[in-house]
Amino acid sequence: MLDRPLAPPPVEVIVAVTQALHREARLLDNEDLDGWLAMLGKDVSYRLELKSRRFRADRSPPLPLGPGVIFNEDLGRLKMRVDRLKSGFVWAEDPPNYIRRAVSNVEVLANQADNEVRVHSVLVMHRNRIDGTTRLLTAGRTDRWRSEGSCWLLASRDIVLDHSVMPDSNLNAFF
Amino acid sequence: MNDNIADLVDSRTGRQSRSIYASEDIYRQELERIFGRCWLFLVHTSQIPKPGDYFRTFMGEDDVIVIRQKDGSIKAFLNSCTHRGNRICRADRGNARAFTCNYHGWSFSPDGALAGVPLESEAYFGELDRTKFGLIPVTKVAEYKGLVFGCWDANSPSLDDYLGDAKFFLDVWLDAMPGGSALLGETQKMVLGTNWKLPVENVCGDGYHLGWAHAGAMAAVQSMDLTGLSVGNSGVDLDGGLSVAGMNGHMVLSALDGVSGYAFYPDPKPILEYLEANRQTVIDRLGEVRGRQVWGAQVNITIFPNLQLLPGLNWFRVYHPKGPTQIEQWTWAMAENDMPEAVKAQILENQCLTFGLAGLFDNDDGDNLTACTEQSRGWRTAQMDVYTNMALGRSGKREGFPGDIASGLVSEHNQRYFYRRWQEHMMAETWAEVPTYNINSLTDEEAEHA
Repeated sequence: MLDRPLAPPPVEVIVAVTQALHREARLLDNEDLDGWLAMLGKDVSYRLELKSRRFRADRSPPLPLGPGVIFNEDLGRLKMRVDRLKSGFVWAEDPPNYIRRAVSNVEVLANQADNEVRVHSVLVMHRNRIDGTTRLLTAGRTDRWRSEGSCWLLASRDIVLDHSVMPDSNLNAFF
Repeated sequence: MNDNIADLVDSRTGRQSRSIYASEDIYRQELERIFGRCWLFLVHTSQIPKPGDYFRTFMGEDDVIVIRQKDGSIKAFLNSCTHRGNRICRADRGNARAFTCNYHGWSFSPDGALAGVPLESEAYFGELDRTKFGLIPVTKVAEYKGLVFGCWDANSPSLDDYLGDAKFFLDVWLDAMPGGSALLGETQKMVLGTNWKLPVENVCGDGYHLGWAHAGAMAAVQSMDLTGLSVGNSGVDLDGGLSVAGMNGHMVLSALDGVSGYAFYPDPKPILEYLEANRQTVIDRLGEVRGRQVWGAQVNITIFPNLQLLPGLNWFRVYHPKGPTQIEQWTWAMAENDMPEAVKAQILENQCLTFGLAGLFDNDDGDNLTACTEQSRGWRTAQMDVYTNMALGRSGKREGFPGDIASGLVSEHNQRYFYRRWQEHMMAETWAEVPTYNINSLTDEEAEHA
């Protein structure tokens, strides 16, 4: 935790980072995956951990090797996923699914490093799939965004998915 | 109904009626004659190591809690209050001294006994016989080397006999190394709009789909050869693997190179080092054939009806039916306890990458299975058949292995045996009518010296 409260980031920073979140969602919706990769820091960490539903009073120790992940990606792994999606062999994405992301509840907070901010947001992903069904996924995100030159880059994202049973047959999509 | 079932599947020609993937009547009969009768996987002992540890799962559509007892044994009960039927445990797993029903506060101890009843003397006038209201136990619970199974049918064969010659292959994971096995991570749960038999069929024998359905994933992560299977299904080496069936309805696909299980690891080096460092130990324990050729190779093991484990790719999975056209698919990573921690961590990581909820391979299968199910529900499609008629009549004995064996991972030999077993169970009124067969069974001595 922080020793002392940090001054809130300047309004221009809050606007710029919020706009970056919206731009990111639009690039992903439009399947501009290279454009999206260009918004990521070289050291990006992109994680979504598994969890289980437990009683509040449960005292079981953590699992020996941790919970496992849905995503635990660095830039190389994200590029690999993008390469797969662009390979022309991913039949589940052809014809394209209709995907729309809504970003909300954006909080931009100061971070210890001057050129970084911490960002909380909520993502709602609407997927109208080839099979004619619609799935709605919601997730909370805690990010670090870093100012590099004239742009803000995503340095890390921890995702919490609000589904104990994945209601969809694939996650060929990024949060 | 039995006349009808006899018509629905022809294992000699490899034909199935599409109605078996969508009919409500057939599904109700499956719950009785397959899920109500067969040994079903409940939990791995590593998932409930301490007294009071519990794990919630399903047997067919019946909600079950599996609990480690004070004496170290394992019991399983219906997750349902004996008073009004409410679910007593809503958590996925954990540790508990008691399970208390939300509705009226009846509480049950881990051994299933009814331990507490609010207002017992005031409202029941002390006349309630608690011994008659313990949790309903699963009729039989038994373990095979860490795998715990339950069975509702008192007349079933023992778990040992039920598994039969599939144990020859199960031991390649469970007993290759002295430290035994474990499942890793939380349960990876996904709902799929498929009939439960389609994913079982897909993994039990269908090497054919690999190079096509998973071409994108193979292009992304393949680092080694797997019996010549290649992106776009442009080639295959049928001498490099086996399709093994005829073992009480259990099936195995196995490559024979001792390493290809790790072909879909972008960096297989640490695991290959582990395999080579321990190869001789495994040969000493399991013999040449399993130690040199099977351990480390890509192996798909299916335990009828709904358990699949793939040593190598290291995923372990059960399919819980939720009606004729829906399942919950539950997956874990599997490891050997003797593996270094770093190797176990890599296995958990790679299992999640390839066959997890955002798995590069898994994400290809769901839509195919769902669509096969949907294309069985129409007025016209429900009257149609589908086929598993590849390489008919091309199976036999293979030196060193039990089972009726076809060459290669690309064959539909195993699927035919799967549907044959399904039909045998569906037509049988009782376990006594279900045939037992372990074709080309090896003697213990043959297995050891194979």
